[in-house]
Amino acid sequence: MISIQLIFLIIFGLAAIWFGWRVFMTSSMVRSALSLLASMVAIGALFLVMEAEFLGVLQIMMMGTEMSIMAIFMMMYMMDPGGLGNMDMSHQKNISIAAGVIVTVLIIGAALATDWGTIATQFPGPHEQNRLLGMEILKRSMMIFETAGVTILTGMIASIAVALSIKKSMEK
Amino acid sequence: MELLITALIIAAVLFGIGLYGALSQTNLVMIMMGIELMLGAAMINLVAFWRYLHPEAFSLQMFVLVAMTVMALEGAVGFAIATQRFRTSGTVEMEESAELKG
Repeated sequence: MISIQLIFLIIFGLAAIWFGWRVFMTSSMVRSALSLLASMVAIGALFLVMEAEFLGVLQIMMMGTEMSIMAIFMMMYMMDPGGLGNMDMSHQKNISIAAGVIVTVLIIGAALATDWGTIATQFPGPHEQNRLLGMEILKRSMMIFETAGVTILTGMIASIAVALSIKKSMEK
Repeated sequence: MELLITALIIAAVLFGIGLYGALSQTNLVMIMMGIELMLGAAMINLVAFWRYLHPEAFSLQMFVLVAMTVMALEGAVGFAIATQRFRTSGTVEMEESAELKG
């Protein structure tokens, strides 16, 4: 029997796949960035359909910001951000298509061949989920969460160090 | 069962598209977009495993938070490298960055 959850899963899944495909099918960088934004929002909607409300909202908010920044960088660094010149910015297309198709088929094959056991029908509601995730972060996974925080700090320092102007540092 | 399989198939197709993008594009920012799609596919899998197999195991949701951190960091470090490449060579085309080979 087809449930409402399955219908929405398919709708948002197809949206994520369609916009993901459009990212590499347009010569306009701005459209690419906006397509990726739409794909990420569709992934966030998939999380909401799978009743992971906190992660869904977080995904939509985070990716909305990140993709907007990405669009700005695309316009800054591209010679032809609007794609008016129809520049081809791809190489080894056949190998890439083959790799993408083979990996997709292998993963789908593994997913279909695996015995996943019984599907869970009981799961915590949104309030309980947030409480349990908070307890997970503050108890068992605290070290992992702290490591993620320190990694972000390291990434910030590394990004600034990499992006610094070489000329200015050489003059000193 | 069909819900889990549908989510896994969606994630597999997204991963394949991301892999195609990461391998076929010559522009650094476009390569990063491919990697973002692959990470997005991994997150769909994690949420599907949590919801349909182990809704009591919140370490799976924790794993999604770590994957989101990796996505943000990949963006930050990638754009820093793009900024430096643009300063030094005036382009972010990776075909013109052969000197970065190890």
